[in-house]
Amino acid sequence: MHEARLCLSLLALAEQHLAAAGGGRILGVRLEVGDFAGVAPEALAAAFPICAAGTAAEGATLRIDRVSGRDLVLRDLEVV
Amino acid sequence: MCGVCGCQQFMIPLAAEEPWRADTARVKHAPHPEARRVAVERSLLDHNRAHAESLAKRLAERGIDAIGLLGGPGAGKTALLEATFEHFGRDDAAREAVVEGDCATDFDARRVAAKGVRVAQVATGSLCHLDAHLVEHALDDLDLSGVSRLWIENVGNLVCPAPFPCGERRRVVLISVAEGDDKPEKYPAMFAGADLLVISKADLLPYVDFDVERCIAGARSAHPALPALVLSARTGTGLDSWLAWVNGEGA
Repeated sequence: MHEARLCLSLLALAEQHLAAAGGGRILGVRLEVGDFAGVAPEALAAAFPICAAGTAAEGATLRIDRVSGRDLVLRDLEVV
Repeated sequence: MCGVCGCQQFMIPLAAEEPWRADTARVKHAPHPEARRVAVERSLLDHNRAHAESLAKRLAERGIDAIGLLGGPGAGKTALLEATFEHFGRDDAAREAVVEGDCATDFDARRVAAKGVRVAQVATGSLCHLDAHLVEHALDDLDLSGVSRLWIENVGNLVCPAPFPCGERRRVVLISVAEGDDKPEKYPAMFAGADLLVISKADLLPYVDFDVERCIAGARSAHPALPALVLSARTGTGLDSWLAWVNGEGA
């Protein structure tokens, strides 16, 4: 199970883009998970709030869209 | 503030036809009036992928052919390496190097080192797969002078290593006949990214209900035209075709 580690990558990428967009707080994260990505959306969803604690995305909503393919893409953030 | 539960979480619709869904929240939240959308459009796998591509390029520049070996625990990955190095003989085996990935122990490193190859063992602890970063660090401990081929034997796992290239140019996925012919259909991601399917432990075929054609068809439903070989590292059956593939002569 490597979803927690992927969550940390997700949060690092999200915080980087948050800073580039002028900072603030992340309310929502939209992620696309490919059916062949070897990643379990349920495990990501379970790991996310724990990994997000203490970050700018603490308490944020994670929306996961399942798509075809092998990738795992951070689409966008809702920021305030 | 959220009017339903009083918490500080908010949600905002991205577009009228595509409402923001609270997949991880128990409660629907009201839109935040000042929320804005920041586009990212970046893959979480990019970081490792870039690292893997860079490593693969550097290995290729040094004339080193890197092959990844993947499969569940006990699929016969190490046994296939042993049989391969045995076939090469000690002089040729000295030009082979191996990175062994396991959660614990250096059993596999000892087994292949006994055949005369250079080896670095990565004990990943609880990590379920290797990645390019781990392999790169393993190579710090490995003298690659005179080496023409690097084998990267991943942690035994038919799921997690799939999205993490490790610097290999080609990937071999093993399924032993004892595991069952339905495995490629059950674990398609691994086969989608494979360059060769090896059906191992063929000497056990008389004792198990394993349909070779079904196994190959299952793998090809994830990866059409995936080359496939049936072999036994124990008896040597099928090793000629394997060695031809290893040497770039196709399966």
